[in-house]
Amino acid sequence: MAFQILLNVFLAFIWMFLKNEYTGTTFLVGYFFGLLIILGIRRFFDSRFYLLRVFAVVKLILIFTRELILSNISVLKVILRPKLDIRPGIFALETELEKDWEITILANLITLTPGTLVVDVSPDNKTLYIHAMDIADKEEAIQDIKGSFEKAIMEVSK
Amino acid sequence: MKTNDLILQTVTKVASPVIFLFSIYIFFGGHYSPGGGFVGGLLASGAIVLLLLSYDIKTVANILPIDYKLVVAIGLLIAALTGTGALVFDAPFMTHAYQYFDLPIIGHTSLHTAVLFDLGVYLVVIGVTMTIIQTIGESE
Repeated sequence: MAFQILLNVFLAFIWMFLKNEYTGTTFLVGYFFGLLIILGIRRFFDSRFYLLRVFAVVKLILIFTRELILSNISVLKVILRPKLDIRPGIFALETELEKDWEITILANLITLTPGTLVVDVSPDNKTLYIHAMDIADKEEAIQDIKGSFEKAIMEVSK
Repeated sequence: MKTNDLILQTVTKVASPVIFLFSIYIFFGGHYSPGGGFVGGLLASGAIVLLLLSYDIKTVANILPIDYKLVVAIGLLIAALTGTGALVFDAPFMTHAYQYFDLPIIGHTSLHTAVLFDLGVYLVVIGVTMTIIQTIGESE
Protein backbone atom coordinates (compact mmCIF):
# COMPACT_ATOMS: atom_id res chain seq x y z
CA MET A 1 0.00 0.00 0.00
CA ALA A 2 2.72 2.46 1.00
CA PHE A 3 4.54 1.57 -2.20
CA GLN A 4 1.53 2.52 -4.31
CA ILE A 5 1.05 5.86 -2.53
CA LEU A 6 4.74 6.62 -2.87
CA LEU A 7 4.62 5.75 -6.56
CA ASN A 8 1.59 7.97 -7.03
CA VAL A 9 3.29 10.96 -5.38
CA PHE A 10 6.38 10.22 -7.46
CA LEU A 11 4.27 10.25 -10.64
CA ALA A 12 2.66 13.53 -9.61
CA PHE A 13 6.13 15.06 -9.21
CA ILE A 14 7.22 13.71 -12.59
CA TRP A 15 4.12 15.33 -14.08
CA MET A 16 5.13 18.64 -12.50
CA PHE A 17 8.63 18.33 -13.94
CA LEU A 18 7.24 17.47 -17.38
CA LYS A 19 4.84 20.44 -17.37
CA ASN A 20 7.47 22.72 -15.81
CA GLU A 21 4.74 24.16 -13.58
CA TYR A 22 5.33 23.77 -9.88
CA THR A 23 1.89 24.52 -8.49
CA GLY A 24 -0.58 22.60 -6.38
CA THR A 25 -2.96 22.31 -9.31
CA THR A 26 -0.37 20.63 -11.50
CA PHE A 27 0.42 18.28 -8.64
CA LEU A 28 -3.26 17.38 -8.30
CA VAL A 29 -3.63 16.79 -12.05
CA GLY A 30 -0.50 14.61 -12.04
CA TYR A 31 -1.77 12.77 -8.98
CA PHE A 32 -5.04 12.12 -10.77
CA PHE A 33 -3.33 10.72 -13.87
CA GLY A 34 -1.04 8.64 -11.65
CA LEU A 35 -4.10 7.28 -9.89
CA LEU A 36 -5.62 6.25 -13.22
CA ILE A 37 -2.38 4.54 -14.27
CA ILE A 38 -2.05 2.67 -10.98
CA LEU A 39 -5.71 1.69 -11.27
CA GLY A 40 -4.96 0.32 -14.71
CA ILE A 41 -2.00 -1.80 -13.65
CA ARG A 42 -3.14 -2.46 -10.05
CA ARG A 43 -3.00 -6.24 -10.40
CA PHE A 44 0.75 -6.15 -10.93
CA PHE A 45 1.14 -5.09 -7.29
CA ASP A 46 0.99 -7.51 -4.40
CA SER A 47 -1.49 -5.50 -2.32
CA ARG A 48 -4.85 -4.33 -3.59
CA PHE A 49 -5.53 -0.89 -5.08
CA TYR A 50 -4.78 1.54 -2.26
CA LEU A 51 -7.78 3.79 -2.81
CA LEU A 52 -10.01 0.94 -1.61
CA ARG A 53 -8.16 1.02 1.68
CA VAL A 54 -8.56 4.78 1.91
CA PHE A 55 -12.31 4.31 1.44
CA ALA A 56 -12.25 1.64 4.17
CA VAL A 57 -10.57 4.08 6.56
CA VAL A 58 -13.18 6.75 5.77
CA LYS A 59 -15.92 4.17 6.36
CA LEU A 60 -14.36 3.24 9.71
CA ILE A 61 -14.34 6.91 10.75
CA LEU A 62 -17.98 7.31 9.75
CA ILE A 63 -18.99 4.15 11.66
CA PHE A 64 -17.10 5.42 14.69
CA THR A 65 -18.84 8.82 14.54
CA ARG A 66 -22.26 7.20 14.26
CA GLU A 67 -21.60 4.83 17.15
CA LEU A 68 -20.24 7.67 19.27
CA ILE A 69 -23.38 9.76 18.82
CA LEU A 70 -25.76 6.84 19.33
CA SER A 71 -24.10 5.52 22.47
CA ASN A 72 -23.78 9.01 23.97
CA ILE A 73 -27.52 9.37 23.60
CA SER A 74 -28.05 6.01 25.28
CA VAL A 75 -25.77 7.00 28.17
CA LEU A 76 -27.67 10.27 28.49
CA LYS A 77 -30.89 8.28 28.78
CA VAL A 78 -29.43 6.17 31.59
CA ILE A 79 -28.24 9.25 33.47
CA LEU A 80 -31.56 11.06 33.21
CA ARG A 81 -33.59 8.01 34.23
CA PRO A 82 -34.76 8.38 37.86
CA LYS A 83 -34.36 4.67 38.63
CA LEU A 84 -30.89 3.12 38.42
CA ASP A 85 -31.73 -0.32 37.04
CA ILE A 86 -28.50 -1.12 35.19
CA ARG A 87 -26.37 -4.23 35.71
CA PRO A 88 -22.67 -3.48 35.22
CA GLY A 89 -20.31 -6.34 34.52
CA ILE A 90 -17.30 -7.59 32.63
CA PHE A 91 -17.45 -9.94 29.68
CA ALA A 92 -14.90 -11.47 27.34
CA LEU A 93 -14.79 -10.77 23.61
CA GLU A 94 -12.97 -13.20 21.36
CA THR A 95 -11.37 -11.21 18.58
CA GLU A 96 -10.21 -12.45 15.21
CA LEU A 97 -7.84 -9.53 14.72
CA GLU A 98 -4.17 -10.42 14.81
CA LYS A 99 -1.90 -7.45 14.32
CA ASP A 100 -1.05 -5.26 17.29
CA TRP A 101 -2.32 -2.04 15.79
CA GLU A 102 -5.63 -3.62 14.81
CA ILE A 103 -6.29 -4.76 18.37
CA THR A 104 -5.22 -1.37 19.70
CA ILE A 105 -7.63 0.44 17.38
CA LEU A 106 -10.45 -1.96 18.25
CA ALA A 107 -9.82 -1.49 21.98
CA ASN A 108 -9.72 2.30 21.62
CA LEU A 109 -12.93 2.34 19.60
CA ILE A 110 -14.68 0.18 22.19
CA THR A 111 -13.47 2.44 24.98
CA LEU A 112 -14.36 5.69 23.25
CA THR A 113 -17.92 4.62 22.61
CA PRO A 114 -19.56 5.00 26.02
CA GLY A 115 -21.29 2.08 27.66
CA THR A 116 -18.32 -0.21 27.15
CA LEU A 117 -14.73 -0.03 28.33
CA VAL A 118 -11.78 -2.32 27.61
CA VAL A 119 -10.26 -3.44 30.90
CA ASP A 120 -7.61 -5.89 29.78
CA VAL A 121 -6.22 -7.82 26.85
CA SER A 122 -5.37 -11.48 27.38
CA PRO A 123 -1.66 -12.42 27.09
CA ASP A 124 -2.18 -14.27 23.81
CA ASN A 125 -3.94 -11.24 22.23
CA LYS A 126 -7.01 -13.33 21.52
CA THR A 127 -9.48 -12.05 24.07
CA LEU A 128 -10.53 -8.56 25.14
CA TYR A 129 -12.09 -8.11 28.57
CA ILE A 130 -14.72 -5.43 28.36
CA HIS A 131 -16.57 -3.68 31.14
CA ALA A 132 -20.13 -2.93 30.12
CA MET A 133 -22.42 -0.45 31.76
CA ASP A 134 -25.42 -2.70 31.26
CA ILE A 135 -24.53 -6.33 30.81
CA ALA A 136 -28.11 -7.52 30.34
CA ASP A 137 -27.61 -7.70 26.61
CA LYS A 138 -24.10 -9.13 26.49
CA GLU A 139 -24.53 -11.24 23.39
CA GLU A 140 -25.99 -8.30 21.55
CA ALA A 141 -23.05 -6.08 22.52
CA ILE A 142 -20.58 -8.68 21.28
CA GLN A 143 -22.42 -9.01 18.01
CA ASP A 144 -22.55 -5.22 17.69
CA ILE A 145 -18.80 -4.83 18.12
CA LYS A 146 -18.02 -7.74 15.86
CA GLY A 147 -20.42 -6.57 13.19
CA SER A 148 -19.36 -2.96 13.02
CA PHE A 149 -15.87 -2.25 14.35
CA GLU A 150 -14.12 -5.55 13.80
CA LYS A 151 -15.43 -5.89 10.27
CA ALA A 152 -14.47 -2.31 9.40
CA ILE A 153 -10.96 -2.76 10.81
CA MET A 154 -10.53 -6.02 8.89
CA GLU A 155 -11.61 -4.18 5.78
CA VAL A 156 -8.80 -1.67 6.33
CA SER A 157 -6.06 -4.23 6.92
CA LYS A 158 -7.15 -6.76 4.28
CA MET B 1 16.56 -22.80 -16.75
CA LYS B 2 14.03 -20.54 -15.12
CA THR B 3 15.61 -17.29 -14.09
CA ASN B 4 14.38 -15.06 -11.33
CA ASP B 5 13.07 -11.81 -12.76
CA LEU B 6 12.59 -10.12 -9.40
CA ILE B 7 14.70 -7.06 -10.16
CA LEU B 8 13.27 -6.61 -13.63
CA GLN B 9 9.71 -6.94 -12.37
CA THR B 10 10.21 -4.52 -9.49
CA VAL B 11 11.79 -1.92 -11.75
CA THR B 12 8.99 -2.44 -14.27
CA LYS B 13 6.40 -1.69 -11.58
CA VAL B 14 7.98 1.75 -11.15
CA ALA B 15 9.06 2.37 -14.73
CA SER B 16 5.88 1.45 -16.60
CA PRO B 17 3.67 3.99 -14.76
CA VAL B 18 6.24 6.66 -15.58
CA ILE B 19 6.06 5.71 -19.26
CA PHE B 20 2.26 5.74 -19.14
CA LEU B 21 2.37 9.17 -17.52
CA PHE B 22 4.77 10.46 -20.15
CA SER B 23 2.47 9.11 -22.84
CA ILE B 24 -0.45 11.05 -21.31
CA TYR B 25 1.74 14.16 -21.17
CA ILE B 26 2.72 13.74 -24.82
CA PHE B 27 -0.91 13.11 -25.73
CA PHE B 28 -2.12 16.34 -24.11
CA GLY B 29 0.90 18.30 -25.30
CA GLY B 30 0.01 17.79 -28.94
CA HIS B 31 -1.62 21.16 -29.49
CA TYR B 32 1.08 23.56 -28.29
CA SER B 33 4.21 21.41 -28.13
CA PRO B 34 5.61 18.35 -29.90
CA GLY B 35 3.59 15.23 -29.36
CA GLY B 36 0.07 14.10 -30.03
CA GLY B 37 -1.95 10.97 -30.35
CA PHE B 38 0.50 8.99 -32.42
CA VAL B 39 3.63 9.18 -30.26
CA GLY B 40 1.48 9.06 -27.15
CA GLY B 41 -0.11 5.82 -28.30
CA LEU B 42 3.26 4.37 -29.21
CA LEU B 43 4.62 5.25 -25.77
CA ALA B 44 1.64 3.66 -24.03
CA SER B 45 2.07 0.48 -26.03
CA GLY B 46 5.79 0.68 -25.24
CA ALA B 47 4.87 0.53 -21.55
CA ILE B 48 2.68 -2.51 -22.17
CA VAL B 49 5.54 -4.11 -24.11
CA LEU B 50 7.77 -3.52 -21.08
CA LEU B 51 5.18 -5.35 -18.97
CA LEU B 52 5.16 -8.13 -21.55
CA LEU B 53 8.96 -8.39 -21.37
CA SER B 54 9.12 -8.67 -17.60
CA TYR B 55 6.06 -10.87 -17.17
CA ASP B 56 4.94 -13.46 -19.64
CA ILE B 57 2.24 -12.99 -22.26
CA LYS B 58 -0.40 -14.97 -20.36
CA THR B 59 0.05 -13.01 -17.12
CA VAL B 60 -0.28 -9.69 -18.88
CA ALA B 61 -3.32 -10.92 -20.83
CA ASN B 62 -4.89 -11.99 -17.53
CA ILE B 63 -4.09 -8.78 -15.71
CA LEU B 64 -4.99 -6.43 -18.56
CA PRO B 65 -7.90 -8.28 -20.17
CA ILE B 66 -8.10 -5.96 -23.16
CA ASP B 67 -9.09 -7.04 -26.65
CA TYR B 68 -6.84 -4.76 -28.67
CA LYS B 69 -8.82 -5.27 -31.87
CA LEU B 70 -11.76 -3.77 -29.99
CA VAL B 71 -9.55 -0.84 -28.99
CA VAL B 72 -8.84 -0.17 -32.69
CA ALA B 73 -12.57 -0.24 -33.44
CA ILE B 74 -13.40 2.11 -30.56
CA GLY B 75 -10.64 4.49 -31.61
CA LEU B 76 -11.86 4.60 -35.20
CA LEU B 77 -15.40 5.10 -33.97
CA ILE B 78 -14.40 8.04 -31.75
CA ALA B 79 -12.45 9.68 -34.58
CA ALA B 80 -15.29 9.21 -37.05
CA LEU B 81 -17.91 10.47 -34.62
CA THR B 82 -15.85 13.58 -33.84
CA GLY B 83 -15.76 14.33 -37.56
CA THR B 84 -19.45 13.72 -38.16
CA GLY B 85 -20.36 15.62 -35.00
CA ALA B 86 -19.62 18.82 -36.89
CA LEU B 87 -22.40 18.02 -39.39
CA VAL B 88 -24.94 18.20 -36.57
CA PHE B 89 -24.00 21.84 -35.98
CA ASP B 90 -24.32 22.71 -39.67
CA ALA B 91 -20.57 22.89 -40.22
CA PRO B 92 -18.49 20.98 -42.80
CA PHE B 93 -17.18 17.50 -41.97
CA MET B 94 -14.20 17.53 -39.54
CA THR B 95 -14.75 21.14 -38.43
CA HIS B 96 -13.41 21.49 -34.91
CA ALA B 97 -14.79 23.70 -32.22
CA TYR B 98 -13.19 25.02 -29.06
CA GLN B 99 -14.26 27.02 -26.10
CA TYR B 100 -12.70 28.32 -22.88
CA PHE B 101 -14.07 26.96 -19.65
CA ASP B 102 -13.42 27.72 -16.00
CA LEU B 103 -13.11 24.27 -14.47
CA PRO B 104 -13.25 23.84 -10.67
CA ILE B 105 -9.68 22.84 -9.82
CA ILE B 106 -7.69 23.25 -13.01
CA GLY B 107 -8.90 26.79 -13.69
CA HIS B 108 -9.05 28.52 -17.07
CA THR B 109 -8.81 25.81 -19.71
CA SER B 110 -9.58 25.62 -23.39
CA LEU B 111 -11.35 22.44 -24.40
CA HIS B 112 -11.02 21.50 -28.04
CA THR B 113 -12.82 18.75 -29.93
CA ALA B 114 -9.56 17.98 -31.71
CA VAL B 115 -8.53 16.24 -28.50
CA LEU B 116 -11.32 13.71 -29.02
CA PHE B 117 -10.04 13.03 -32.53
CA ASP B 118 -6.57 12.63 -31.07
CA LEU B 119 -7.96 10.21 -28.50
CA GLY B 120 -9.22 8.11 -31.40
CA VAL B 121 -5.75 8.16 -32.96
CA TYR B 122 -4.23 7.27 -29.58
CA LEU B 123 -6.47 4.23 -29.15
CA VAL B 124 -5.97 3.04 -32.73
CA VAL B 125 -2.19 3.25 -32.38
CA ILE B 126 -2.23 1.31 -29.09
CA GLY B 127 -4.60 -1.26 -30.56
CA VAL B 128 -2.66 -1.79 -33.76
CA THR B 129 0.76 -1.99 -32.07
CA MET B 130 -0.41 -4.38 -29.39
CA THR B 131 -2.28 -6.56 -31.87
CA ILE B 132 0.86 -6.88 -33.99
CA ILE B 133 3.10 -7.67 -31.02
CA GLN B 134 0.70 -10.08 -29.36
CA THR B 135 -0.02 -11.92 -32.60
CA ILE B 136 3.67 -12.40 -33.29
CA GLY B 137 4.36 -13.33 -29.68
CA GLU B 138 1.63 -15.93 -29.48
CA SER B 139 2.51 -17.78 -32.70
CA GLU B 140 4.72 -20.80 -32.06
